[in-house]
Amino acid sequence: MGDVKEVYLDYQSSKPVDPRVIDGMLPYFHERFGNASALHHVGDVATEALDESRRAIADYINADHDEIVFTSGATEANNLALIGYAMKSKRKGNHIIISEVEHISIRNIAKYLERQGFEISRVPVDKYGRVNLRKLERRIRDDTILISVQFANNEIGTIQPVAEIGTLAEERGIAFHSDAVAAEGLVSFDVKRDKIHLMSLSSNDLYGPRGLGVLYMKKRYRVNPILIGGGQERGLRSGTEDIASIIGMKLAIDIMKKEMSTEVKRFEGYRKKLIDTVLAEIPDSYLNGHPTERLASNAHFRFDGVEGEALLLSFKDKGISVSTGSACTSKTLEPSHTLIATGLIHEEAHGSLQLTPGRFNEDEDIDRVLEVLPDVLARIRKMSPIYNPKTR
Amino acid sequence: MKSTQYSEKTLDHFRNPRNVGVLEGENVASGRVGNPTCGDLMEVFIKVEDEKIVDAKFRTFGCGSAIATSSMTTEMAIGMTLEDALELTRDDVATELDGLPPIKMHCSNLAADALHEAIKAYRARDSPDEVAPKTADYEDPTCVIIGQDDYLDKGVFLDVNDLEDFTDQRVLVLHTGDESVESALELTSQTDRVVLLTPEKEIVTNDTLKTELERSSVKVITESRLLEIRGEFEVEKVLVHNLDEDEQYELFVDAVVIID
Repeated sequence: MGDVKEVYLDYQSSKPVDPRVIDGMLPYFHERFGNASALHHVGDVATEALDESRRAIADYINADHDEIVFTSGATEANNLALIGYAMKSKRKGNHIIISEVEHISIRNIAKYLERQGFEISRVPVDKYGRVNLRKLERRIRDDTILISVQFANNEIGTIQPVAEIGTLAEERGIAFHSDAVAAEGLVSFDVKRDKIHLMSLSSNDLYGPRGLGVLYMKKRYRVNPILIGGGQERGLRSGTEDIASIIGMKLAIDIMKKEMSTEVKRFEGYRKKLIDTVLAEIPDSYLNGHPTERLASNAHFRFDGVEGEALLLSFKDKGISVSTGSACTSKTLEPSHTLIATGLIHEEAHGSLQLTPGRFNEDEDIDRVLEVLPDVLARIRKMSPIYNPKTR
Repeated sequence: MKSTQYSEKTLDHFRNPRNVGVLEGENVASGRVGNPTCGDLMEVFIKVEDEKIVDAKFRTFGCGSAIATSSMTTEMAIGMTLEDALELTRDDVATELDGLPPIKMHCSNLAADALHEAIKAYRARDSPDEVAPKTADYEDPTCVIIGQDDYLDKGVFLDVNDLEDFTDQRVLVLHTGDESVESALELTSQTDRVVLLTPEKEIVTNDTLKTELERSSVKVITESRLLEIRGEFEVEKVLVHNLDEDEQYELFVDAVVIID
């Protein structure tokens, strides 16, 4: 690859930890290593750190500090929310509603709950990937206990009408859970405004360390624990707290509070440039997802006659990391369920490209990918027996 | 092993594919396997002299290994006798590429099959009686679309007279003749998502409509039949049968147009 700088445009799949976060975490590995359950001074230092982080995270989403439960990540938070709430409320009913475009972790938890005897309804989305409120409302039954709809989609970046869903749910005494991971650092959270009762967050999606997540749990919307042990987190999530990571997430939030609005403006610039240039200059290219209700850092395209893995590999050869909804890159060989839910056929879902810039990208990274893309596409299309340029 | 963890040799054939293109003229035959629905479609062309493959070319829509195996297959085939080439297997191709990720062995390693199809086509050319032409039973009069009546006025339309009903909707139009093609074209003024579904290999219509269709945003899905309309309370998706692959899949739509 020579001297060419590596370009990373896959922030939706993983983010680096901000170096400022790492610096602040380091003392907690050695000097301030205590167990927050211990009563001596070393333990008190850990307890203080734990409390401080809990308050900062609560403040970030407009919740109370005793509504925050630390978990090992967003997957565990999703498990705790759905399984924990379903088990707690099963006397009230056994019907749960999710959307057709949920993250794979929610999809698979729902399948698990189905096997445990719960009934799951899946609400369709429109061609932009947005949940249709009318269709959601129609699926609500007397025995519906929980609605789970993501804050924004992790693939195509479509932002869901969470406040409207929250209102629908609250009016009927149904719990509303939202997996907010994809939206972290890109939108402002306010669980009171949006009437969210349970919300999953991940530390890494705020440029904090991996292996840490949070479940926000509104008072009166308690869940049953799914990990049993020493009774940490008020018995809701046992296991000695990972203070270093918990401090890391707090530091990541401190930075986000200061920098998010400027950062989002920068991402909006990247997004505009990517979308405008691709749609104008690449023939037979289309935007996936919503034209306006979309995450600032998300540009998602599909191209006629092109398969996504071939696209990804070509970019890899140029030192550019991107993502695709193609089946050929997935473990199951199934194309992206999100793209299918927007109404695409498999062939179209195969030819998709996901670009998600983030904190450490520079303007030249965007220029670089736009410079490389036409050649890469032309090369693949030349080999393709199904590409017929539209003569419009 | 990650699904995209390829050998250097595979990557080389992906980066510098050999024999891309088509062949025409005398003593040329071609074979086509796969389906874009499944993510892979390959065409292999061979030129034969004295029962020997003297040239081979390919065109492929597919992932990295689909392109690499196509390239390798044509390279291996050139110089082979037809008999030897018929013995060439997917495993031989994978071995020659220093292996493929296990998950890719079956889905994208189809080029050897395309080569065999080309050889069969070449031989059939000399004695057309030997191979019975493959015809699907497209004109099945007993074909019933499950749900067609249940969803009338709930997303199933028998005409497109009220175009406004379709604004911004994802519309599936069944190809039932020229009127359905005209309707599909008309709908593009209301929505950017119109799918025209036909059991045929292509839409057979007059030249004007054909040209208009090619230039339009209508997405044509060929060799497919509508089996069932699904949704809670109204049309939300349909079950489509891909006749070529004999596979069924769901397609999310808001409206279905069936013009008799």
